[in-house]
Amino acid sequence: MSHIYVYGVVEASDDVEFETDAVGDADRVYTISHRRYAAVVSDIDTTEPEETDEDAQRHDDVLREIMEYEGGQTIVPMRFGMAFEGNRELKNVLRNAQPAFRRALRDIDGKIELGLKLVEEEDADVDRETVEDDVADRFEPIAEQSVPNDLFSDRLVFNRSYLVEKDDQEAFGDAVGELEEAYEDRLIVQYTGPFAPYSFVDVKIGAQ
Amino acid sequence: MFVLDDLLFRPFIGIVDALHSIALDELYDLNELEDQLKENQLLYELGERPEAEYRERKAELEEEIEIAREVHERFSSGRVEVKR
Repeated sequence: MSHIYVYGVVEASDDVEFETDAVGDADRVYTISHRRYAAVVSDIDTTEPEETDEDAQRHDDVLREIMEYEGGQTIVPMRFGMAFEGNRELKNVLRNAQPAFRRALRDIDGKIELGLKLVEEEDADVDRETVEDDVADRFEPIAEQSVPNDLFSDRLVFNRSYLVEKDDQEAFGDAVGELEEAYEDRLIVQYTGPFAPYSFVDVKIGAQ
Repeated sequence: MFVLDDLLFRPFIGIVDALHSIALDELYDLNELEDQLKENQLLYELGERPEAEYRERKAELEEEIEIAREVHERFSSGRVEVKR
């Protein structure tokens, strides 16, 4: 366990430390800080972790725990698999990427990511353009931003991620309920989240 | 004469390479396999695909994706031998 696995980056003043089931069988999550920013990490025995279902889930779960930690932390999430040789390599990244972290934290402060997929019921016939317009009318006013995701199945009519203020999560959920009623028997609604806002930050850091 | 032959046939060799590349892309379509993997997950989450079937299909697709990645990697690095 001599290497460091990174979940994301927070303001250094947001000291995070708790015991949990972490990636690579670690049992403690803590922060390593450099000046203004701190990486939320756990110990790991490799710099190239394999993305198993269990560890991918643990990565997401830890991010969610951090988002709820002591009343709610804003974290710039990293994708699965970011591991560093040691403290020095990680601190180099924290130093070099300061402007990017500052921008990202500003953009996602107090916000969460929610996902919405609409799947056509078998043998149902829906006008996809009409659905898209209707969904946009219902959800765009609630969300701060949204991005489209791949339509990876023929039955997938709509797939989008939304950046939403934490306080607006309930309104978003209510709108999902109304959408389900409106398209009962034609569309299955899959509503996911809250997640750390992966889709709305673009910080690329290289593991050393 | 060798130089002339080489110049005359070079365009055809280019076409053969391109056709070979298209055939490989179709046989080992990584995007299509990854889409199928996501669809398998979605249908399982929606309760339309039983767990045993989901796990079996997932294992199959992961194996196919690994093979496809290997083929693309070898092909792009010029290490694929085409036997005729």
